[in-house]
Amino acid sequence: MNDMHLALHGVAIKKHAAPAVVADAVGLSAERAGSLLTEATAGGRLAEAQGGYVLTPAGRMILDNQYSRFYGELRADQAFVSAHDRFERVNVELKQVITDWQTLEVGGQQVRNDHSNREYDADVLDRLGAVHERFEPLLAQLIRGLPRLAVYRHKLERALEEAERGQIQWVSDAKLESYHTVWFEMHEDLLRVLGRVRDE
Amino acid sequence: MAFEPGPHTLAIDGSSLPDRQLIGGKAWSIARMRALGLSVPPAFVVTARACTAYLESGALPPGLEDELARGIEWLEAASDCRFGGGERPLLVSVRSGAAISMPGMMDTVLNLGITDATETALAGVSGDAAFARDTHRRFLDLYARIVLKAVIPDLDEHAAPADWRQLIEDAGGAPVPTDPRAQLRAAVQAVFESWNSRRARRYRQHHCIPDTLGTAVTVQAMVFGNLDDKSGTGVLFSRNPLTGEPTPYGEYLARAQGEDVVSGRYTPQPLSALGAQMPAVHTELLAAAATLERENGDVQDIEFTVQAGRLFLLQTRSAKRAPAAAVRFAVDMVSEGRIDETTALSRVTAEQVRTLLSPRLAVGAAAAADCVAKGEAACQGVGVGIVVTNTDEAERRALAGEAIVLARATTSPDDVHGMIACRAVVTEQGGTTSHAAVVSRALGVACVVGCGEGSVTALEGRLVTVDGASGCLYAGELPVVAPDENAEPSLAALIRWAEARAPLTVLADGGEDVLDLAGVDGGEDIERLPALIAGHGCVRGGAIASDGGVRAALAAGVRSIVATPRLPVLLAALEAVRATP
Repeated sequence: MNDMHLALHGVAIKKHAAPAVVADAVGLSAERAGSLLTEATAGGRLAEAQGGYVLTPAGRMILDNQYSRFYGELRADQAFVSAHDRFERVNVELKQVITDWQTLEVGGQQVRNDHSNREYDADVLDRLGAVHERFEPLLAQLIRGLPRLAVYRHKLERALEEAERGQIQWVSDAKLESYHTVWFEMHEDLLRVLGRVRDE
Repeated sequence: MAFEPGPHTLAIDGSSLPDRQLIGGKAWSIARMRALGLSVPPAFVVTARACTAYLESGALPPGLEDELARGIEWLEAASDCRFGGGERPLLVSVRSGAAISMPGMMDTVLNLGITDATETALAGVSGDAAFARDTHRRFLDLYARIVLKAVIPDLDEHAAPADWRQLIEDAGGAPVPTDPRAQLRAAVQAVFESWNSRRARRYRQHHCIPDTLGTAVTVQAMVFGNLDDKSGTGVLFSRNPLTGEPTPYGEYLARAQGEDVVSGRYTPQPLSALGAQMPAVHTELLAAAATLERENGDVQDIEFTVQAGRLFLLQTRSAKRAPAAAVRFAVDMVSEGRIDETTALSRVTAEQVRTLLSPRLAVGAAAAADCVAKGEAACQGVGVGIVVTNTDEAERRALAGEAIVLARATTSPDDVHGMIACRAVVTEQGGTTSHAAVVSRALGVACVVGCGEGSVTALEGRLVTVDGASGCLYAGELPVVAPDENAEPSLAALIRWAEARAPLTVLADGGEDVLDLAGVDGGEDIERLPALIAGHGCVRGGAIASDGGVRAALAAGVRSIVATPRLPVLLAALEAVRATP
């Protein structure tokens, strides 16, 4: 593993983000990430606009080719791979919970959940918490294989706690690190690390 | 006075309405239905006091076991069934029930009381051995996951109970007791312990609920909708939850259990099927719905089961409703004299009205148009634009002012920036829970998913209209219309009532001296609104008409907002006042 790979990986997960955000996602210091991103931009791997970074086509190709090299050992780690496979099953449940959070069935039709029915919302939030608790031992297993994944535990817990506190935008708002945003970034991270392809 | 098996338990027999704190919300709702003379499966409650005692001492209070036995005897007498034996087996559900519902509490255990012996009896009574076996499997599955907290794989439908028990013991380290009384005791204890689950504790902390309240446990006789031809299960809404029409609306599935309806394996029939088969039950059900709606002052969603020709109500609650129904319920119930105007206004949200008034395809427009791709409707709304398949290009062109429809095989977090900027998102793979669907709904962007390989990315460069309601992509730009809030009498009534009560005025057109946030840096950012609007009496544009914007306006002492439509702003203002302690 090297820091440059981590920095590029961070940009792949956190598009258009400032150095501090990329640093936070992959566990680098903000200064280190800042200098790596500047260096990669000079080398044509990244492009910078308004303080945020994106991969250039060349940078993307280089990054995609690095994963098998840096994560070969992890890909052979049975405990890690099996935890990931179980994660994929929890993922199906999680996506259903989030969908039920956003839409609800009324007389056989799916309509947008406008969050006017507190009882319904409380029920879905309860299910989200239950999925989270089932996922915790798997996440612990994944973190044993790849310690930097611990950042997701922290972010998922924060989102869940905010949502339970009544800040319901923390469930699935796409513009903040809501439960769904973090979950998907984690999923994307795992897919890249393991060289898998998203199926939908 | 209700029958009391002992100091810690209470039978729900309809003779009185016990304290909600003591028996919890769910049992209280059952007790209330019984007190109204409605038919509900018999139940008894282990009170929250028993839970408090358990939490203090770490053991079930002395005598509780005897009380459970007496409670079960009472259920046996009331249901004419036997627990753990006999020809007609009594199965019970065990559920948690605190006075205030909270996350992390134990889920319901169903079918408790099924054993090898009662499985045989149930097979005999129902004439359906496969059903009895499946009931056994579902009980063991729930008991293992909920009471034993074992992580078990799905129990193979074709295996035998002994195999399932072994698998559970291997996975969880604890055997499932064979005595149903021991199962009941363990289930009650598991409910008590769930009071102290991490999530429940955290929730109480945030909401300042005392840890000492404890939760009650409701033990209720189960009824079966699949016993014979005069059995079935269904759902009834006291009014139509889609359109709001004041006629009962429901579904019925003969010879079925509730989970058959939920599973979608069977297609339920309209309620009239029940009316044709058992007119007396149908009449009793409609009368019960009318009673519950009147007593609760709101439209009800009622789950019911018919067992051997006898109606049982399982649960009633305020009905979930589509936006059109929310408006009609509120206005109709005022004209019927059931609720006052203030209550009616609290039953319609700003968001519901925004949805009702959102632009849609003009009537007849789709019929004449060419549908170039079709998938699953994932987020309602209409988006017109040029199809672009590269997310970065889509974002760049959208930010430059072009109307863009983003078309991808699938989306990932990498695409979110592009999705934010576009008029619609369409994908080739994935269903209604896919990333594209979830993110589009979160953003409120029209979205159609799963159009099929090569379907939408092939449309690159073409102008299309995406209808997120029907799941169709049409060639070219179709006419779009927005409904008028003033033309619809029920919305006009709500506007009148809201204007009389709102803490600020909402104008369709501004006069002089209006601060226009459109084009003001930060005008779309709710966090920055307080600084921007301070000292202004009248504001328009930017984020001012959103729920957060209205709250900021009220806090800043703004006297009027200029916006159309007006009703969402008025409702948001009323909600903001209600939310202020």
